[in-house]
Amino acid sequence: MQQMQLRDFFSEDAIKLDLEAETKDEALKELVGLLGLDEKSQAILFKMLKRRENLGSTGIGRRIAIPHCRSLVVNRLRVAFGRKPGGLDFDAIDKKPVQNIFLIVAPPLEVSNQYLPVLGKIAQFGKESDIPERLAAIETPEEFLALLEEKGV
Amino acid sequence: MHPQLELLLELQDLKTQRRSLAEDGLSQVESAVFELRPSEALEILDGKIEELADRLDAPVRARFAEVSQSEGRAVAPVLNGICYGCFVAVPTAWSSEVGRNERINICDHCGRFLYYVD
Repeated sequence: MQQMQLRDFFSEDAIKLDLEAETKDEALKELVGLLGLDEKSQAILFKMLKRRENLGSTGIGRRIAIPHCRSLVVNRLRVAFGRKPGGLDFDAIDKKPVQNIFLIVAPPLEVSNQYLPVLGKIAQFGKESDIPERLAAIETPEEFLALLEEKGV
Repeated sequence: MHPQLELLLELQDLKTQRRSLAEDGLSQVESAVFELRPSEALEILDGKIEELADRLDAPVRARFAEVSQSEGRAVAPVLNGICYGCFVAVPTAWSSEVGRNERINICDHCGRFLYYVD
C-alpha cells in the first residue's frame, strides 16, 4: 500500500500565504473559511477549535501552530495552511508570535483513520530545523506543496 | 439550523474530544507535542459538557442521555441518505427536504439524533 503523504491532503485553495487576520481568533476564522463550509458549520467549527485552544494553545513553538479538532460538521479529513508573515500572538508554548498555521479537522469517525497520523506528520514537519525559514520564503501555494513533497512527509 | 440541534452537535463534538483525549494515541500526541495535561483537560471538558447539556430542553436531554448510554454516540451524521450511526438508510423524503437541519430528526432504526452533512 502506498504510504500516506501530507501533500495529498492539501489543495491550493486551502492555502493562504498572506492571512489578513490580526488576532488568533481571526486567524482561526480565516482558516476555517478556506474549507468552503456553510456559515453555520463554520461557526460550530470555530467554537470547537476555540474550546481546544482553551485547554492549551496549539502553538508548538518555532512560529508554528496546529489547531485541530474532530467535528460532525465535516464529512472527511480537511486541512488548511495559513501564513501571517508579520506573526500573530497565539499564546504559543515558546511565547513567540506564530507565522505558520496548519488547520486539521476530521469527522468523529473516519474509515481510514487519518487524523492522528496527519497530526503527527505535521508536527514532525514543523520540528525540522529549516522549516520556519523555508515556509517564510515560499511565494506560491505550489511552492508550499513542493516543500511538503521535498520533505517526504 | 434548529438551536437544539446546534447544541447537540456541540455537545457531541465535545464528547468526541473527551473520548479522543482519553485514548492513548491522541493523549500522547497532545502531551508530547502540545504540552497538554490530559487529566486537567478532561476535567475542563467534563464541566463544559455538563454546562451544554443543561441548556438542552428536558425531553431532548433525556433522549441524549439515554441514547448515549445505549449506543455510545447520540448524534449521527447523515451522508448520502445513510445514518452513520447504524448505517441504515433514512427516509428519502427527509434527505431531500430543504432546511432538513431546521428540525430535530431522529433515526427510526437506532434512535440517534440526525445531522445532515452537506
